[in-house]
Amino acid sequence: MSDNEPSIRERLASRPTDEANSGGDSRVSDVSASDFQQTHTDPSAPQEHLTGLQFAEPLGPPRELTPAESKSAERKVSALFLLSVVGVVGFVLVYAFGEETYDQPNNWLYTPLLGVFMALALFGVGAGAVLWAKLLMPHEEAVQERHDLASSAEERAATATALKEGLAQANLGRRPMLLGSLALGGGALALLPVPFLFGLGRFQNKEIKLGTTGWREGVRLIRQNGTPVRLGDLDVGAVESVFPDVDHGTKLADSPALLIRMSPEELRLEGEAAEWTYEGHVVYSSVCTHLGCPVKLYEQQTHNLFCPCHQSTFDAAHGAKVIFGPAARPLPQLAISVDEDGYFVAQGDFSEPTGPSYWERG
Amino acid sequence: MSVVQKGADGLGRGIDDRLGSSNFVRRSLNKVFPDHWSFMLGEIALYSFIILLLTGTYLALFYTPSLSEVVYDGSYIPLKGVTMSEAYASTLHISFDVRGGLIMRQIHHWAALLFVASIAVHLMRVFFTGAFRKPREINWVIGVGLLVMAILEGFAGYSLPDDLLSGTGARIASGIMLSIPVVGSWAAFLLLGGEYPGTELLDRLYIAHVFIVPLAILGLITVHMMMIWYQKHTQFPGPGRTEHNVVGSRLYPVYAAKAGGFFFLVFGVLALLGGLAQINPVWLYGPYDASQVSAGSQPDWYIGFLDGSTRLMPNWEFYLGGYTLSLNVLLPTVVMPGLIFTAMALYPWIEAHFITKDKRAHNLLDRPRDVPTRTAIGVASLTFYIVLLIGGGNDVIASIFNISINQISWVLRILCIVGPPIAFVITKRICLSLQKSDEHLLHHGIESGTIRRLPTGEFVEETVPLPAQYRLNLTRVAGDHEAIEGGHGDPGYDLEAVGHAEAPRSKGFFRPKGVSRVDPEQAERTEVGALEPSGKPGSPPQ
Repeated sequence: MSDNEPSIRERLASRPTDEANSGGDSRVSDVSASDFQQTHTDPSAPQEHLTGLQFAEPLGPPRELTPAESKSAERKVSALFLLSVVGVVGFVLVYAFGEETYDQPNNWLYTPLLGVFMALALFGVGAGAVLWAKLLMPHEEAVQERHDLASSAEERAATATALKEGLAQANLGRRPMLLGSLALGGGALALLPVPFLFGLGRFQNKEIKLGTTGWREGVRLIRQNGTPVRLGDLDVGAVESVFPDVDHGTKLADSPALLIRMSPEELRLEGEAAEWTYEGHVVYSSVCTHLGCPVKLYEQQTHNLFCPCHQSTFDAAHGAKVIFGPAARPLPQLAISVDEDGYFVAQGDFSEPTGPSYWERG
Repeated sequence: MSVVQKGADGLGRGIDDRLGSSNFVRRSLNKVFPDHWSFMLGEIALYSFIILLLTGTYLALFYTPSLSEVVYDGSYIPLKGVTMSEAYASTLHISFDVRGGLIMRQIHHWAALLFVASIAVHLMRVFFTGAFRKPREINWVIGVGLLVMAILEGFAGYSLPDDLLSGTGARIASGIMLSIPVVGSWAAFLLLGGEYPGTELLDRLYIAHVFIVPLAILGLITVHMMMIWYQKHTQFPGPGRTEHNVVGSRLYPVYAAKAGGFFFLVFGVLALLGGLAQINPVWLYGPYDASQVSAGSQPDWYIGFLDGSTRLMPNWEFYLGGYTLSLNVLLPTVVMPGLIFTAMALYPWIEAHFITKDKRAHNLLDRPRDVPTRTAIGVASLTFYIVLLIGGGNDVIASIFNISINQISWVLRILCIVGPPIAFVITKRICLSLQKSDEHLLHHGIESGTIRRLPTGEFVEETVPLPAQYRLNLTRVAGDHEAIEGGHGDPGYDLEAVGHAEAPRSKGFFRPKGVSRVDPEQAERTEVGALEPSGKPGSPPQ
């Protein structure tokens, strides 16, 4: 294996070493003309504009293009640039004359056509520029020295001295009272914006309270369209999304619930939870105790309630206890009964706060 | 002299008279950039960001960040008469009643996905080639910061349309804030202006999305670029390339033409996607309603790993004297990403101080196989990430392949613990065997397939020696820099030391014991003398 190819290694190696070092500390200046020599061009020609550079390959295209090839390359690049004109004209025509409304089924092409013409316009200029550089600009392997990033020891010392001198002139070391009072004053100033944070949180609004919902004693269970739910509306195995019949009841984020009817013997609740049901009807909060997604997927046979966000699964027959997934707590149960008109009403708020856990929740 | 040239001369003189800018401009034009396809990945991120600024500014002219209720009366018939927030209505307005509004929205969304994706891939390139090493650690940290900012920016923007999907995402985010011990509910109230959904959510997210976060990203990008410019780009090893130079094409004209053209190519691809590939069709999801969600809800891809970690986490929650600690939310959504991004940011120092003990500056990049342990760490981390990403789609996988979601979740839970170590070991073995095959190539040459019979009757296999530039790549590890330095003046580094990509105390990090990467020919004829003249296969090089 010979090493005869015109490698930069050899050319660099053959360079007289004193010339390479002639700049003295080459770290400091990488633009000193005497440090470098042009290896490829007539040394007598002025090259000031290339100071600091060497070229590993001769300037010029990788191989000589014939006049025909050169002309063809030029045509290709120009054609791409002109493609942009086509793209822009097409875009403007579609934009101006295409109907954009979606109530007419024939106009589904509007946005796709805009995209195609816009892409044409952009590709034309982009591909033209890249091709220009690749086909018609000289390929070069320019070599530039890196300067050393670290400063010299003297430089560092001088800077350190300047910093220290400034501190000395400010007399900080000799006047502890100044330093102490500045620390206190500055610290106090840093606390000034904190009240504005309280303003952001609306802490003055005492009505906002985690852990309470729109449900109160005697509030009817309504559907999303506002109609109340009556005993007998649901067959065994059926479910209904219910909301408290209060102002904006269907919009309250922590109040949505799910009314489920199963046959009373399937419902296995213990203690007072059993008394919160009514003839096989049971109501759970439909706000997931994990991160607050609506738990609305109900599997009739298994009585499983499933959250589509993170797959927590609750067993509705057993007090909505968690049987799978990242949720830790059962869905809170809403105590219900039926009023004199036969409509479902709440006996009070949920058994515990609905929705995701929080520190003060208890 | 033509009129144009006269004008240009005059303009140049006028500017230089006032700014003295000639020297700076010339040096900038002559700045050399090394060329490699993988160096374009960061460019894609930069260009995506510019496109995001352009399209986002246009969208902001029409979008209203308000939760006030309106009745929709636009062109999209299925939602006519539906009560919805002004934010959602204005998003529908952009999509159906602003000319070219839909394509702007779709380009913006695609550009956002590409922005985060190109940052992630760029980061992998920088990691696996060791470009984060001294002196570029600060820029690595800025890059990690940019990744975090990009994810936050994406999430804030994703939540603005106030459709069913994005509203659900915002609700989950508020739940995550609530899980933070002690200050959680304060933090959530601070952002929302009250209990979820509050009244302020969209205003706050909007200001974050169009002002605060983009400003931070813009600032970080500026510093990132200035440091690349000042420290000069890294380069892959090759003929004539050393730790002390940079080899490539000058900024002007070749690099500028290529990079400038590339911007338009990236924009073109995004325009094509924005026109042809529908993304986030919010009109199909309907307005946000706290009591509804559709099955198969998926966030944008870059949130997917957090969604996955949340889904796979066991339901650990503790109750301490009247207070609740929700580790089932806190660990996968706050602690884990916090640890991951911190570890990422600190990795350059972790590697230099605890693994390689190599505190020197490096401008030449590593081939991933030459640094098996780092490569294995990277692949193990990616494995963890990908398992979480798959976990984020476990419901979709379950319904497509008709498998139990509980089984998928359990398999993934186990995989995210067991997978990374397995990936680590496998990757390291692959790297080491690739090194061995390099060594074989180096010493044996390329098999020509020709068997020659010698006059003595002996049969020998003919091999073709590796061409010089490949030999350089393969032998670099063994300390070939001196050979390609070719008698440069001392630039201030310890050449002996820099020549060895291997640090003295860390052989295992770089290669298997007993593998020689010394080029036999180099060893025999080199005059620089840093290599062991004997350099025989099997002996560790110095």
